[in-house]
Amino acid sequence: MKLLRYLRDAAVFAPCYLLLDWVSYIHPLGPFNITPWNPQPALAIAWMLLGGLVHAPAVFATILLADLVVRSVPLGVSLVTALVLSAGYAGLAYGLRVLLRPRPDLHSLRQLTLFIALVIPGSALIAAGFVGVLFALGSLGPADALPAWLRFWVGDAVGVLVTAPLLLVVADGAGRRSFAAMARRWETYAQIALLAATLWLIFAGLGGDPSHHFYLVFLPLIWIAIRHGLGGAIAAVGVVQLGVVLGIHRHPIQGLPIIELQALVAALTLTALYLGVMMDERQRATEGLKQSLRLATAGEMAGAIAHEVNQPLTALTNYARSGQMLLAAGRTDELMGVIERMLAEAQRASEVVRRLRDFFREGRTRLERVPVVELLESARRDAQDSRIGSFAVSGDSGLPYVLVDRLQIELVLRNLIRNAAEAMDGAPGAGRIDVSAQCDDAAHVRIVVRDNGPGISAARRAKVFEPFVSGKPTGMGLGLAVSRAIAEAHGGSLDAMPGGHGEFHLVLPVEAAHA
Amino acid sequence: MPERGSLVVYVVDDDAAIRDSLALMIGLAGYATRLFADAESFLAAFEPAWSGCVVADLRLPGLSGVELQARIRERGSSIPFVIITAHGDVRAARDAFRAHAVDFIEKPFEDVQLRAAIDSAFDLESARLEDAELRRVDTAKLARLTPREREVLEHAVNGSHAKEIAAALGISPRTVEVHKTRIMEKLEVRNIAELVRLRFR
Repeated sequence: MKLLRYLRDAAVFAPCYLLLDWVSYIHPLGPFNITPWNPQPALAIAWMLLGGLVHAPAVFATILLADLVVRSVPLGVSLVTALVLSAGYAGLAYGLRVLLRPRPDLHSLRQLTLFIALVIPGSALIAAGFVGVLFALGSLGPADALPAWLRFWVGDAVGVLVTAPLLLVVADGAGRRSFAAMARRWETYAQIALLAATLWLIFAGLGGDPSHHFYLVFLPLIWIAIRHGLGGAIAAVGVVQLGVVLGIHRHPIQGLPIIELQALVAALTLTALYLGVMMDERQRATEGLKQSLRLATAGEMAGAIAHEVNQPLTALTNYARSGQMLLAAGRTDELMGVIERMLAEAQRASEVVRRLRDFFREGRTRLERVPVVELLESARRDAQDSRIGSFAVSGDSGLPYVLVDRLQIELVLRNLIRNAAEAMDGAPGAGRIDVSAQCDDAAHVRIVVRDNGPGISAARRAKVFEPFVSGKPTGMGLGLAVSRAIAEAHGGSLDAMPGGHGEFHLVLPVEAAHA
Repeated sequence: MPERGSLVVYVVDDDAAIRDSLALMIGLAGYATRLFADAESFLAAFEPAWSGCVVADLRLPGLSGVELQARIRERGSSIPFVIITAHGDVRAARDAFRAHAVDFIEKPFEDVQLRAAIDSAFDLESARLEDAELRRVDTAKLARLTPREREVLEHAVNGSHAKEIAAALGISPRTVEVHKTRIMEKLEVRNIAELVRLRFR
């Protein structure tokens, strides 16, 4: 079984290797056919990196076969060079396997740097081994050895740098999915078109030495790397390499310029890969921040709900104790009223617990159709006892329903009103809070909480929504951050209006079918 | 000594169910109660003569329970406070104790816990009231003395003998003795030691 699988893998690998070798067999140099672009070593290295060194003999056999079929090299020489090459690739694969532990991917700056740091000197060594064998066998003269080594090194290094990351992404399920996601975006096609147009300009449109205009290709590549991260960069670099090969094919230039061009491709590849990885890391950092904000939201919610549940529990305990005392005193006729009140409190507690459970089970909450008028009414109740100079609630007639979690939105409104009341602490008695609601359009309703406190400066406007930023000495600074998170979780928004008075706008989407 | 019956538990909590259930439970346990929905309405109604114990929620719509206590202290009243909270906030507990709350109780609580806190608050109040009552009585008794008797008293509590007092006031030692007897009768004391204690209470 094991042998069968081995042979099956080899049967897939060998034709692919031969095909790549044949496709990239352009502009060979001298009798030993040193080409400026060798993607096939990447295939061998990726195979041994992912599958293990057991594949080394199959790699050796395939290289030998390729020499015979593609290059028509004498068997004697080919035996030795194939041995050197397969040993070199195996060594490189082993080194990468050890360094990139636990998973051979390039998702972090560290992994990418290790990969590059191993591939560039590694391919130089392999090239030296290969050229050294030819030199020792007398097949290369002393004058040809150095250029041959350089050409072989650049060809292999570029081949591995461009192709190996591509193979690693394709071998990985998540990588394939990210490619598929890219293929579904129109932007991707615009980018490919721009890349193709740039390559055409470099090789045909502008005329002259392609390496003179090569810098132009950095622009679309940077765009792609910024938009799609490492996956996009890897794919784009592959496209550029293909374009360069095609360009050289169509507009043959002999000798050194191809090496120069390939060195440029190498520089481009490094730039794009690093840019892509950095974009990915930034993305991950943003995700991490969002996650911790979600946790903070959950924590704040849990605190609020714990308070909400402790209240009815306290009342329940008090009523129960009172019931005992009534019973002991023989005043059983009064028990009924106490029991009624206990039931109401138990109901209140279970309601809060149900919401708590929903919040943690679904990551969010139970949505219900709530008339905006009721939200305003609860805001009025909240503000009633807070001894503000005056408090007014107003709204259009015929305010719609919103589909929200009542507890959460009430928490947001309570937060805003408490903030407004605290903002006006300096001027007791004169404080005034207005809460109003109106329809923005058919789909959105806007609730405005306005106070006549000092307001928020334009500079502080963005800051007040950051977690752990608080104007209050005792505040955790999570109130507004959490409130905004809640508003956004409902598909709405929460914003502060700068100006001479405090003004917060909570926008919520209207429930479409309102009765 | 004042009756415990004159002491009242003042409940300040914004949660209607908590107020109602506390009033019922505390009332059944034999305490008089008065209820307030927030600190501000308590402050508006407050009179310095109130005695007993304030059971206030920490988080109230306006002033917090601890802030309310500070305002009451500013008004010169030392009525004891018991702070209750559903938040279990360590920092708030520290603030409450720093402000000399009798106790800091986390909701939900056992009635024995609350009653223990109220009782120790009432003990403090009783001692304070008893002290105040004694002083009030003393003041009333001292007011019964004539100006001459007060002069004699001042000299007597400073340790002067009848002859010295007589010389100082220009009256006969016998008259001083008569005054002293009348003073002890009016102040209801049996000896000089009790007289001194009363004078300097």
